[in-house]
Amino acid sequence: MATADQRTPGTRWTPFLFLLPFLFFLLLFWLIPLVGGVKMSLQANGLGQAEYVGLAHYKALANDERYFTALRNSYVYTLASIVVIVPLALWLAHLLRATFRRLRPVLTFALLLPALTPPSVLAVLFLMVFHGRNGLLNQLFVMPLGLEPVNWLKDPDFILSGLVLQTVWRWTGFMTFFILAGMEGIPRVYYEAARLATGSRWRQFWHVTLPQLRPVLLFVAVYLVVDGFSLFSGAFVLLGGAGGTADAGLLAITYVYQKSRFFEYGTAAAISVSLLPLMLLLLWGCLFLRRRTA
Amino acid sequence: MSTQRKNRRGVLSLLLLSPFLMAVLVPFLWMVLGMFKTNAEFFQPLAKAFFPANYDWKNVADLLGGEWVAFWNVFGNSLGVSLGQALGAVALSAAAGYAFARFTFSGKRLLFVLAVALILVPRQLFAVPLFSWVNALGLSDSLLGVMLPGVVTGLGVIYFTQVFRQIPGEYFQAARVCGATEMRVFLTVLPLVWPALLSYGMIHFILAWHEHLVPMLVLTSETKQTLPLALAKLYDVSQRTPQGVQMAASTFAVIPTAVLFALCHRKFKSSLSEMLAH
Repeated sequence: MATADQRTPGTRWTPFLFLLPFLFFLLLFWLIPLVGGVKMSLQANGLGQAEYVGLAHYKALANDERYFTALRNSYVYTLASIVVIVPLALWLAHLLRATFRRLRPVLTFALLLPALTPPSVLAVLFLMVFHGRNGLLNQLFVMPLGLEPVNWLKDPDFILSGLVLQTVWRWTGFMTFFILAGMEGIPRVYYEAARLATGSRWRQFWHVTLPQLRPVLLFVAVYLVVDGFSLFSGAFVLLGGAGGTADAGLLAITYVYQKSRFFEYGTAAAISVSLLPLMLLLLWGCLFLRRRTA
Repeated sequence: MSTQRKNRRGVLSLLLLSPFLMAVLVPFLWMVLGMFKTNAEFFQPLAKAFFPANYDWKNVADLLGGEWVAFWNVFGNSLGVSLGQALGAVALSAAAGYAFARFTFSGKRLLFVLAVALILVPRQLFAVPLFSWVNALGLSDSLLGVMLPGVVTGLGVIYFTQVFRQIPGEYFQAARVCGATEMRVFLTVLPLVWPALLSYGMIHFILAWHEHLVPMLVLTSETKQTLPLALAKLYDVSQRTPQGVQMAASTFAVIPTAVLFALCHRKFKSSLSEMLAH
């Protein structure tokens, strides 16, 4: 680090003075509930019961078919949303950069509107989009193609696609905004250098834009994974906390919610804890990528 | 590029963007227009009655008059919780980010890993233990019990670490020569990064405004509801709230975040671009 000698070490405790408030709240409202969750997963179901049951909840989950359905759905949902949103957002950002300068802020804002909308409002909007025969999706896309209207929220073959569509609609504009900001931060000289080396736009994109956008894309992917696995609103918006026909839309976090609703707090906590190894893997991945970028 | 070619490119991209714009805006338009519709109109096929027969403000007046929910009370609660959470989060993460960017200290790497872990494992994943802990602290059914857990954020810490890294070292040196204390240095640097402070505050406000799961668990009494909870109640079929009133409430729930973003988004974007350019 070139600037290391310019950063004052201060006294030994100075940095902790600045960190203290954050650490205090981190301990109070994150670490303690997290440990509480692990503890809860080892206790009998019901709140405030201290009877330890060991790994019984985990053993029960290992034989629980719904749990594995939920996990599988969460993986498919999250991966599909990343695979669709990232290229789409890159393309939209590219289009926004190519349109008239004056329109750009308005158009970006319009695309971003879904991300600013509370999930409970989205739930109402989606009723109209996905609603049986009269829904927008069927009226505008499915039926004009000469296909039978799809019952998006009832047909088990389509529920998960409906969920992915929902998350794409909700987050693409938001991610486009971040990618656009990232693109505008890439120094012009890089492109000029690339133009001298190669004429092709595609190669400019591949060799300049994409590597420069790596931090943004990492952020986008992490955001979508967290949203897909740990935040309830996506599933809630479409299915209201139900798993849908044949559990086709049951996500891991929906299952946590369902178990909590029936006061099976131990099981619910065990499901939450079982997601932690995946998050640890992701944490390691993020730090690894960060070191490589630096 | 010649002007003509540039114009052609602009028009073409606008054409390519338009289906996406439509896909986003049509549902919102439907929501806003829904405010004026009667129930009978509302349930007609869209092609027949996308626009209301007449623009009647009765639904809006009923909602704001508190006929269905104590709207202003709920709105005020949401505003208070979200503002408090945003301010708290900005203060905590700016200070922590400053420490990460400016000092070397033992345990720094571990703490940084913890901040990333905080992003990956949001408190909502452990909503039930959090809820029972909030109860144990004596904060059950209080707005403070919703607000305080929300002030700790990993995203904010990492964002501000990047922000403070951009400030040239000479600046600190000058402050030190003048004999300023560390706290003084921090406070003089803050105005330099105000677009970042504003931007993060905005993002956090939006996240807080949307929050549903934790308030649902913590808040029980009628007078302490936040907007998402009140909306859920309005939408509940058993309440028989007119559709127009539901649409009015939905529209009013979007307005604050939309206005806030519209006001700040240029600053936010340029602050992000600058950060990513370094």
